Amino acid sequence: MAGDARHVLVIEDDAETAEQLLDCLRASGYEVDLAVDGEEGLRRGLAGDYVVMTVDRMVPCIDGVEVIRRLRENGVATPALILSALGEVDDRVRGLRAGGDDYLVKPFASQEMVARVDALARRSGTVIRETMLRVGDLEIDLLARIACRSGQKINLLPREFKLLTYLARNAGQVVSRGMLLQEIWDLHFDPTTNIIDVYVGRIRRKIDSGQAYPLIHTIRGVGFCLRAPG
Amino acid sequence: MLGFASVLLGKTLRSSTLKLAFIYVIVFSSAIFAVLGYVYWATVDFVSKNFDRSISVEWALLIKAYGSVGQTGLTTLINRRVADPFFDEWAYLLTDPSFNPVAGNLKSWPTTLHGDQGWGKFSPLDWQSNSTKQPSFRASYQILADGDHLLVGRRLDGLDRFGQKITIGLAWAAGLFLVLAAAAGISTSRRSVARIEAINATSREIIETGLRERIPLRGTGDEWDGLAENLNSMLDRIEELVESNRQVSNNVAHDLRTPLTRMRGRLERAYSREFDISQYHALIGETLIELDEILRTFSSLLRITQIEMRHRTAGFRNLDLTEIAREVLELFEPAAEENGVTLELSAGDRVDVVGDRDLLFDAISNLVDNAIKHGGRNGRVVVAVSQDSDGAVLCVADRGPGIPIDERKHVLGRFYRLERSRNSPGNGLGLSLVAAVANLHGAHIDMKDNSPGLRIELEFPIAERAASGIPVQEARANAGTPNQAPP
Repeated sequence: MAGDARHVLVIEDDAETAEQLLDCLRASGYEVDLAVDGEEGLRRGLAGDYVVMTVDRMVPCIDGVEVIRRLRENGVATPALILSALGEVDDRVRGLRAGGDDYLVKPFASQEMVARVDALARRSGTVIRETMLRVGDLEIDLLARIACRSGQKINLLPREFKLLTYLARNAGQVVSRGMLLQEIWDLHFDPTTNIIDVYVGRIRRKIDSGQAYPLIHTIRGVGFCLRAPG
Repeated sequence: MLGFASVLLGKTLRSSTLKLAFIYVIVFSSAIFAVLGYVYWATVDFVSKNFDRSISVEWALLIKAYGSVGQTGLTTLINRRVADPFFDEWAYLLTDPSFNPVAGNLKSWPTTLHGDQGWGKFSPLDWQSNSTKQPSFRASYQILADGDHLLVGRRLDGLDRFGQKITIGLAWAAGLFLVLAAAAGISTSRRSVARIEAINATSREIIETGLRERIPLRGTGDEWDGLAENLNSMLDRIEELVESNRQVSNNVAHDLRTPLTRMRGRLERAYSREFDISQYHALIGETLIELDEILRTFSSLLRITQIEMRHRTAGFRNLDLTEIAREVLELFEPAAEENGVTLELSAGDRVDVVGDRDLLFDAISNLVDNAIKHGGRNGRVVVAVSQDSDGAVLCVADRGPGIPIDERKHVLGRFYRLERSRNSPGNGLGLSLVAAVANLHGAHIDMKDNSPGLRIELEFPIAERAASGIPVQEARANAGTPNQAPP
């Protein structure tokens, strides 16, 4: 049940945070509805046809996690990104159990938030089971598990291949370090070191060195983006 | 001292132990009185039965004589008995059918004895005695074959005296018991009150002056000492935590203030001067990076606190430590390469631990990260996973400068950094996180000399199956699914 591909519901009670969320999402081309408490969020969530919703963990009237739970009970499957200032370890588990799809701890970089909304929006769209991914002159054969750049086969370790595939699926979109750790390693914490950068750095050397143009770009303060020029 | 004593007495009287002691005294004295009462009754009964039996035996003897030799023989026997000083407690009287005395030491038939036969009690007025007290007798009497009456009696004074002695003895015993029980009750409760008062005094002292005070031990090794010891070690632990909290606050203040001051200065400069747009851009970019650094430190700190406060085993499952170590090593391989460090895994088969994969991964990452950073250029870092009889052991060894022995216990504290690494990147929280994770998993951290270098060992307890009972296969299967909520 893919909704209007660009319509996002934001449930957030803090006016300034809400304004920032709306700004960022609108700048990324989304249409945004704001609900300032849990009750309004639940009403809009049930009535509207949203592609993604962002839910603050603690909003007035009805708790954010409870809103998601009730929406799920009523058959609303809109992917939800939980935004919370609460601790990550146990709270994340509780939020995700209630039916949340992703979790972001405040304070967060707005680009990271947009990157995660993008990822959820793509997920709620029609899933195309491609067997071949193409970004510029990079070709990834998902069946044969082979990646080629300008027709040259690139030697990748299994996890490197998985990471490159994830970047390619989200080509043109920013993918944060936290998202990579979550998707590729199934780890749910923010890395305190630059280890992901170093890891991606090695893949970048394999993909980009000696090529006409770079494909993997580092987005300062957020993460990475795989995109072809032009 | 007197004041203290009266306070103590007041407390003793109010104390719950004393009330308890009194209840015990009442219950036990009821039991004791019942037992003593029974003893009294049984003894007196036994003695008086014996008394009656002796009268019956004497009676039988006289009747036998009467049967064989008739009245004259009986008279002779009675006269012999009366003359015998051994029988001076006995009364005899043989009368003719109209109660005229024939033989015996009584002048007349006692008026209290009616009928032809039976048992009775009487006090003769004319008894020859050196005591002024009027004697009383218990007697058996009967009409004989030819109409004569015979009475055989025995003085009751002995029996009465015996009964009195028993009564007095039992009364003394009961009294003594009550006094002893009350004394024991008061002394026990006073002892308890004194120990409780010592604990209370220490508590008040702590409330007023701080955590330095400790409850005095008496060295008796009893449960009071046990309680005091436990309370003292609880106080030690609290003091330790408060101290580490204080340390952390100081360090947070220091480690966060410095970058915050820099940021403030930068913003102030931007606010007061005219910059062109590119300068503003650069300034904001730098500030954001620094701000992110602070936020990261902050969330690391929160994360450690959260891990420390988490319930042990909440959300734990069965994991393969070897597998986690292998994944960490794979993640760090490029970083090791970049630093010219050789990263090796020394592990055999699956090694079971029960735990949280995220946390273990993070902890091992921190150890490997440290080893690569501090292990020296062109160094060699070995991660070993093994299983021995005491449980799983994970060991990360480098060939760097190591940690001086006297600093080893400090490096697990938050923000603690060795002098030589003050200027290298890092926030001094890595090993604190490792310590918190190890603690949550019941693992012991051991720091050894790798000569040269440092060898950190995490010794896990024997793996029991996770309480939640999630099968390992299922846990593995979940690991690959994107956006999967951790079960």
